[in-house]
Amino acid sequence: MSPVLQGAITILVGVGGCIGYFYLANLILDKVIFPARRDDAGRNINRANAVRPWLFLVPAILALGLYLVYPVVGSFWRSLFNRGGDEFIGLDNYISLIADEGFRTAFFNNFLWVLVVPAMATFLGLLVAQLTDRLRWGNIAKSLIFMPMAISFVGASLIWKFVYANDADIGIINAIRASAGMDVLDPLQVPFWNNFFLMVILIWIQTGFAMVILSAALRGIPEETVEAAIIDGANPLQVFFRIKVPQIMGTIVVVWTTITILVLKVFDIVYTMTGGNYGTEILPSYMMSYMFRDDGRATAVAFVIMLVVMPVMIWNIVQARKEMH
Amino acid sequence: MRRNTKFLSGAAILMLTAGVAQADGHLIITPGAGGFDWDSYEAFAAAHDLSGQTLTMTGPWTGLDAELFESVAAYFEEATGAEVRYSGSDSFEQDIVIAAQADSAPNIAVFPQPGLARDMAAGGSLTPLADGTADWVRENYAAGQSWVDLGTFAGPDGSDALYGFFYKVDVKSLVWYSPEAFDEAGYDIPATMEELRDLTEQIAADGETPWCIGLGSGAATGWPATDWVEDMMLRTAPPEVYDAWVANDIPFSDPQVVAAIEEFGYFARNDDFVNGGAAAVASTDFRDSPGGMFTFPPECYMHRQASFIPTFFPEGSDSAFFYFPAYAGKDLGSPVLGAGTLMAITNDSPAAHAWIEFVQTPIAHEIWMAQSGFLTPHNGVNTKLFPTASQREMNDILLGATTFRFDASDLMPGEIGAGAFWSGMVDYTTGADATDVATGIQERWDSIQ
Amino acid sequence: MDTIAGTKSSLTWAVNLSVLFLVVLWLIPTIGLLVSSFRDRDQISASSWWKAPFAVEQAFRARAEGEVRQDGSFWIIEGNVFAASELVDAFPEGAGYPPVLAFGVTGRDPGAAPVGTELENRDGGTLTMDADGAYVYTMTEAPGNRPPRLYIVAETPPEFTLSNYSTVLGGDGMGRAFINTLTVTIPATVIPILIAAFAAYALAWMDFPGRGLLIAAVVGLLVVPLQLALVPLLSLHQQVGIGQSFVGIWLAHTGFGLPLAIYLLRNYMVGLPRDIIESAKVDGATDFQIFIKIILPLSFPALASFAIFQFLWTWNDLLVAKVFLPSADESRVMTVRIADDLLGSRGGDWGILAAAAFVSIAVPLLVFFTMQRYLVRGLLAGSVK
Repeated sequence: MSPVLQGAITILVGVGGCIGYFYLANLILDKVIFPARRDDAGRNINRANAVRPWLFLVPAILALGLYLVYPVVGSFWRSLFNRGGDEFIGLDNYISLIADEGFRTAFFNNFLWVLVVPAMATFLGLLVAQLTDRLRWGNIAKSLIFMPMAISFVGASLIWKFVYANDADIGIINAIRASAGMDVLDPLQVPFWNNFFLMVILIWIQTGFAMVILSAALRGIPEETVEAAIIDGANPLQVFFRIKVPQIMGTIVVVWTTITILVLKVFDIVYTMTGGNYGTEILPSYMMSYMFRDDGRATAVAFVIMLVVMPVMIWNIVQARKEMH
Repeated sequence: MRRNTKFLSGAAILMLTAGVAQADGHLIITPGAGGFDWDSYEAFAAAHDLSGQTLTMTGPWTGLDAELFESVAAYFEEATGAEVRYSGSDSFEQDIVIAAQADSAPNIAVFPQPGLARDMAAGGSLTPLADGTADWVRENYAAGQSWVDLGTFAGPDGSDALYGFFYKVDVKSLVWYSPEAFDEAGYDIPATMEELRDLTEQIAADGETPWCIGLGSGAATGWPATDWVEDMMLRTAPPEVYDAWVANDIPFSDPQVVAAIEEFGYFARNDDFVNGGAAAVASTDFRDSPGGMFTFPPECYMHRQASFIPTFFPEGSDSAFFYFPAYAGKDLGSPVLGAGTLMAITNDSPAAHAWIEFVQTPIAHEIWMAQSGFLTPHNGVNTKLFPTASQREMNDILLGATTFRFDASDLMPGEIGAGAFWSGMVDYTTGADATDVATGIQERWDSIQ
Repeated sequence: MDTIAGTKSSLTWAVNLSVLFLVVLWLIPTIGLLVSSFRDRDQISASSWWKAPFAVEQAFRARAEGEVRQDGSFWIIEGNVFAASELVDAFPEGAGYPPVLAFGVTGRDPGAAPVGTELENRDGGTLTMDADGAYVYTMTEAPGNRPPRLYIVAETPPEFTLSNYSTVLGGDGMGRAFINTLTVTIPATVIPILIAAFAAYALAWMDFPGRGLLIAAVVGLLVVPLQLALVPLLSLHQQVGIGQSFVGIWLAHTGFGLPLAIYLLRNYMVGLPRDIIESAKVDGATDFQIFIKIILPLSFPALASFAIFQFLWTWNDLLVAKVFLPSADESRVMTVRIADDLLGSRGGDWGILAAAAFVSIAVPLLVFFTMQRYLVRGLLAGSVK
């Protein structure tokens, strides 16, 4: 069966199945299990209403449980076993990870990514949002800067190969160097800094995201506060940093954390640009080199990533609970 | 620069249409054409009918190599009525383990490394070849026993069986050059490693660049450097040391191994010796790097690479090779490094076994041979079919080698030979210390034992 | 007043210019890719993409295939270099020949002498050549089977071609990969929306014990790294018989996309006016009816925004496709095709790579520019209150 046909059938079965499930489950609940009839009508309606939310939630809970909760537990459990998966070795995988220099490099690089990318993307996004705020062609400028959001990491990496290429006729950086009389070099092989050149790609992609959200937040600031400050003689910089930024701090933090989470998932850029060579390995690409060869180690790496995002997760949950109360 | 671009894109379109047409039974060489062993083809066709079946295969061949391989597979389709689906991948080494894990491996996998195949056989992912295959290889391949040994692994229960059938082998100890460029510059072919070093220095002194070296190969980046090191091992240490190194009886960080790595460094880590400077070595794709020999002015004069590389030369370029020489000062003979791809059954089916029988026919070798970049130890093929005398010569080197050693990285466990060794060599070419790199690889090796 | 107006307008200028600068900076890499995708391989390696509209100086090699005559102790070959067989492809007859700028006798220095001058050759004689390609080659011995080498430097006009695209879509299998990507993307976008919409409604408008806990769980799951799921899920898929397949990747994308979908949709639905829902309830509508007739239509912007999000995410994904789809041509998606095949086998063929990249980003860009409004609205629902 051709995958296209298979896809069409899946859409039909999936969509039909979902609608059918919700409709029928609802019907059965109301008409068969707890019919609103005769003397216990009231009680039955209440009972049905107590069950209904779960009807609506069951598919989602199943999918979430299977595809996100189970993997966390499953991965952790797997990481306690040896490479073949037949011998329980406790935390040995984690111990040997810490002893491995490659892992330490990957961890340190990942740390740099987490530090730099969200900060730079948020900062640039805020900058563009503010600059374009009153501009007549602001919307066009914003969509152009937002555009990389639509490009895959693989596509973006290819695009940036035309910037970094080790050839003055192809790479822009080397063309500029050559016209300034400098030697051609491969930016991706410059130790330590090459990590930052790779980060630029992700910053390039994510700035638009930060910009869009922060620009909406800027628009939401009550005019009066800004006007009052201007009347008090504040200059534009002061207005921006003293009045506007504090008011949108909440949104800035949300943007920051969202990008942080993304950074910890991205492996495509390193995979296509350097393959983890030249000291640019990060945890997700380091994990790839072990995956399905030594699953014990691979899952241990994945769990380390999980531990790194844990604070973000807890912070997110606390925030969400705060909002609800 | 390259002039044939228009023609090239025309050729690409031709190949494309040929690819489509092949499904209709169009064959690149019409059966009956002179010199080919059509009897073997007819006999095979008469014995097999697999109409309606599909044979899936995967391997490391992409691009032009994949097209060449598919041109061979077309004869299998024609003979049996089965459909062959081949998919090549640059990250074959990763993909095949994932596929085996998920039980979705294709019928046949073409392994560039016996080491990886050995791992998978031990894990129970391979099916032993039919009884009698080993005897066939012994009788029909030059140095048959060694090919049997290289393809024999321990299964999941620990008992040895023949899992891998070698098809398409390569001689690695070759240096490619452009005769016209050598002639115009007045350079002579070096007969010893000492002379090769002198020539390297002479070309650099002339203000030119002697070597093109490229290690880029997607997820497999770094492997061309392992070939250099292996060739250097055979030229600086006795073959027994080489064997001990492969088996990890001497550690990777042994001074003899480190010395071989540094021999490679003499060529690759000198900005004056390599096209684009030492930094370009790791990032240039191995398929692109030889192109520098054929530009005007030449970007380099020599390229050390296996026999398959002419497939990636620009169309119509004149090229020749000489044997990567040994040191006259060291009494180690003239060693030859080789390698080969082996086919193993990753998902049992009648068509898969039929395929293994198919690659025993001379015709399966001759079709590729007659086109480009294919050597074979098969005794039954018509060597007149090689398109050039030089390829015949290479095959002779292969068949006549006294000290022949198989590519070490291919024999090492997958995580070393198809992992740590590669990335270690990338580290080394980009400036890491040879001892540190070798120690790191040994540590990884220790961690998997 | 004047000075204030002055600083104000110069500030406006500064803002305009700096935004322009940023936009140009942001666009340059993509434009480079676009331009390169239309250029011929030789031109790409001969001149940078920003010089694409200009003629390129290139060196060519030919043989002196002209007429041979003997004059005393010299043999003389006369002819026109453009008639040489090796140049016919590059300079087809009738298209007009560019002027020769310089010529040479060795590949090492193909432009050793400017036209109109005399150059000593390696056969004891000389070579002269005019700008129109006419040459005279003298040598002390009779030419052998292969006439002596000539090198010229000439300008080739800028050339733009679609051949990269036709190569990529046909021979390099990007066409097939394109369809595969679509096949992965559409179900993986549609299915999670449905599941999430119901769940989001329950979490937004239905009261039940444990609701707060569930919402917190969804927020927590937003963060779970994908990497954790790969090993356990692939073996799970194998145990239930799905293995590596389209079904597997649809399920995986559904699972991975759900937390964001539920989160975005719930945030949006919570903001819908309470009165409408209350009054519908008073009128006796069931939750199911309210959901279908009121909530879904009102939530359209959020649904659309998540759909775009999930579409872009699945379309652009590399990791999930690498693990959950078999690595065969029949099932490879475009990102995998580029990363695992083209980047290697076409490593130095920048034109082909650029064309392949453009094929892969064309649809997301189209979706992006036509539906940008919704995307932005949905993003805001998720993060700004």
